[in-house]
Amino acid sequence: MSFVPGQPVTAVVQRIEIQKLRQGENLILGFSIGGGIDQDPGQNPFSEDKSDKGIYVTRITPGGPAEVAGLRIGDKIMQVNGWDMTMVTHDQARKKLTKKREDVVRLLITRKSLEEAVKHSKGSHPRQ
Amino acid sequence: MPTDNKYADMEEKLWILEDLNMMYIRQIALSLQDSDIQKKIDHEIRMRDGACKLLAACSQRDQALEAAKSLQTCSTRIMAYMSELQRMKEAQVMQNVPRRSSDAGPMDDRLPCKGKVAISDLRIPLMWKDTEYFKNKGELHRCAVFCLLQLGGEIFDTDMVIVDRTLTDICFDNTIVFSEASPGFELRVELYSCCSEDDYSAGSTPRKLASKLSSSLGRSAGKKLRAAMEPGACSPVSNGGAAPLLLPVPSVPGPKYHLLAHTTLSLSHVQDSFRTHDLTISGNEECSYWLPLYGSMCCRLAAQPHCMTRQMMAGWLKVKQCGGDPKTWTKVYAVLKATSLSCYQRQEDVDANVEPALTIGINKETRIRASEKDPHGKGQNISISNRYGGEEVTHTLNTESREDTHSWMEAFWQHFYDMSQWKQCCDDLMKIELPSPRKPAPVTPKQGSLYHEMVIESSDDLSSTVSDILARRMQELELRSQLGTSPTWMSVFEENSPKSTGFPVRPCTSRLSGHSPHSPHRLPSRSPVSPHRCPQPGLLSSDASLTSDSDSHCSTSPCSHRHDWPEPSSSFSLLSSSPSRLRPRTLSLDAKLSTLRGRGYGGGGAFQCSCQPPSSSLLAPHPASSRSPLSQRSTQTTLSCSSSTSSSSSSNSEGSHSPESSEGGPFSRPSPARRSLRNLRARLDPRNWLQSHV
Repeated sequence: MSFVPGQPVTAVVQRIEIQKLRQGENLILGFSIGGGIDQDPGQNPFSEDKSDKGIYVTRITPGGPAEVAGLRIGDKIMQVNGWDMTMVTHDQARKKLTKKREDVVRLLITRKSLEEAVKHSKGSHPRQ
Repeated sequence: MPTDNKYADMEEKLWILEDLNMMYIRQIALSLQDSDIQKKIDHEIRMRDGACKLLAACSQRDQALEAAKSLQTCSTRIMAYMSELQRMKEAQVMQNVPRRSSDAGPMDDRLPCKGKVAISDLRIPLMWKDTEYFKNKGELHRCAVFCLLQLGGEIFDTDMVIVDRTLTDICFDNTIVFSEASPGFELRVELYSCCSEDDYSAGSTPRKLASKLSSSLGRSAGKKLRAAMEPGACSPVSNGGAAPLLLPVPSVPGPKYHLLAHTTLSLSHVQDSFRTHDLTISGNEECSYWLPLYGSMCCRLAAQPHCMTRQMMAGWLKVKQCGGDPKTWTKVYAVLKATSLSCYQRQEDVDANVEPALTIGINKETRIRASEKDPHGKGQNISISNRYGGEEVTHTLNTESREDTHSWMEAFWQHFYDMSQWKQCCDDLMKIELPSPRKPAPVTPKQGSLYHEMVIESSDDLSSTVSDILARRMQELELRSQLGTSPTWMSVFEENSPKSTGFPVRPCTSRLSGHSPHSPHRLPSRSPVSPHRCPQPGLLSSDASLTSDSDSHCSTSPCSHRHDWPEPSSSFSLLSSSPSRLRPRTLSLDAKLSTLRGRGYGGGGAFQCSCQPPSSSLLAPHPASSRSPLSQRSTQTTLSCSSSTSSSSSSNSEGSHSPESSEGGPFSRPSPARRSLRNLRARLDPRNWLQSHV
């Protein structure tokens, strides 16, 4: 999932819609993120390309809204409600996910297994 | 060169001055007819000459430092004796002046008894800057330090300690006992230090070249060079400035100690336990002998006044208890010592350590009265009243004659006076451990730091694991702890609350060098206890991993047994991919941590230890795989192996990891899936990579 600067990024994505859960005063999604353009990409255990500064899912609360919706640990979040997540800082990503006025987030996520699945199903699908 | 001649001239003049001074001193001593001090001064001067010669002759740095230290001590002693002499001379002169009647005040010349004062376990914490501390490259800036302790006329020095940035505290193990101290004593503690750089013993460099060199070198290096070559370093004036002309220090080439810090302790600082005192620091960062002191000093200052250790008065008395039959006088041999009057039936009982027949307490609350002459017998009665609880108990003593009564009363008054002067020292007898004469311990190249106590001896036999070593250490230290001086890191290994029963085994994740990560040695282990541990049966939120060498991390599973090493329930895998690389030395814990912090231990498939392979084995808590079934905000463990207040990274907080799934109960061989999970969680340390929960 590396990108070539200047070239559009293409990936096989899955759409995931998470309904936020109200817990007292907070709306929670039930997962944790890591990464961001201001973070050290080498620390990311999920990324294939260690220069990938995207936002990744690092933890899923079992039984939480994210898990129910189909989010899995290691997923890379490409978009949140239309907002791009491939070139954002960590805090910007967090803010886009935790807007108080929205109680549903629609994510576009990508994961390696998706790519594999597509590759296998299409045979010699050119991998990005 | 003309400058050399000038120096030679000055030296000669100094020697002449010194000789004159010596004659002057001898004269004073003679006139006082006090040969004692004169002998002492002579002795010290001879010692000093010897030290000078040794300094000039020795080639090794260590020897030179030791010799310089003796030189400093001798000089200080000579100063002290000389000022003592002068005082005595003055006193004599004053006495010869006839006293006027108005000067004669109430001649209540009661003097308090003297006592023993002991200072031990001196520890001076250092405060290195982060940058200095973690700088692993470049030469070590080392200083040689020692303490000079002065009370009254007695001056003692401690052993010399070499300090560099791997040390967190300067520790002096010596116990120094001063035998004749009055209650108003002032114990002056001075810390001297001397820069111990090897390159800068350049005393003989010609000045022009020296200044060129120092200006062309870097700022800090040049500073050091200049300081070392300063002629002022050898000049007599730099000897503390105290009475420079009276006994100038001969200018010898070689290391020179400078006063770094000092403090004065007195009776109010005496306590039977450790206390922290403030230090006054002289010098600043620019000096070559500078060390970043935290500004305080911990030590144990104990005092044993003689009234507590010796018999103040002893004799035969007749005792009767108040309220008893007035005819029943018991004849006893009474001894006044410490806080009681012990009455024995026979005089021999005192030495035979037999329990006294009667003990009457004598303390600040006791009231003693001499009553009127008893018409029934000769001598006077003395009544001693104590309050025990709500009751007042009175004992009456009767002596043979008036003189006896008088001397007993005198003894009592003196005793009360002593107790009022020595204050808290008379509540209980403080223990003073006399330093036993022993051979000087072999000097280890690095010393002092608490971290270095955790040396893991190299052994070919891997089964002698770290925890065995710890067990051995514990035994050694059990003895030490009885004296109340257990090293502070032991508190970390104290028992945990015995809640956890089953312990999951954490296998080692090793380097991917082909070794299977599962060869768990079933080892007993102890885990560091955090004060705010969340009580979870089966799992404790902190683990420590012990590395036997740089390649592998292991985590100890927590164990919570008191003082014994549980066998099967907790296990601890110690794995090294190359056994031959077990290293005997420990690196500074914080240095290791910094590298950890900088680079983390994740990334890619290889589980790399962030310390480069040549690092040594050490005891470091890694949250290599830590687990807690609680949420992310679970407890953090601080394993601070050092109780000093060194840099902030000395607290190794373990990353709080949120659990993937609750893993309760023990299991011996986790599946590959779990293993990778553990890998993962290790890498998700928020210290290395920020994560946010949404």
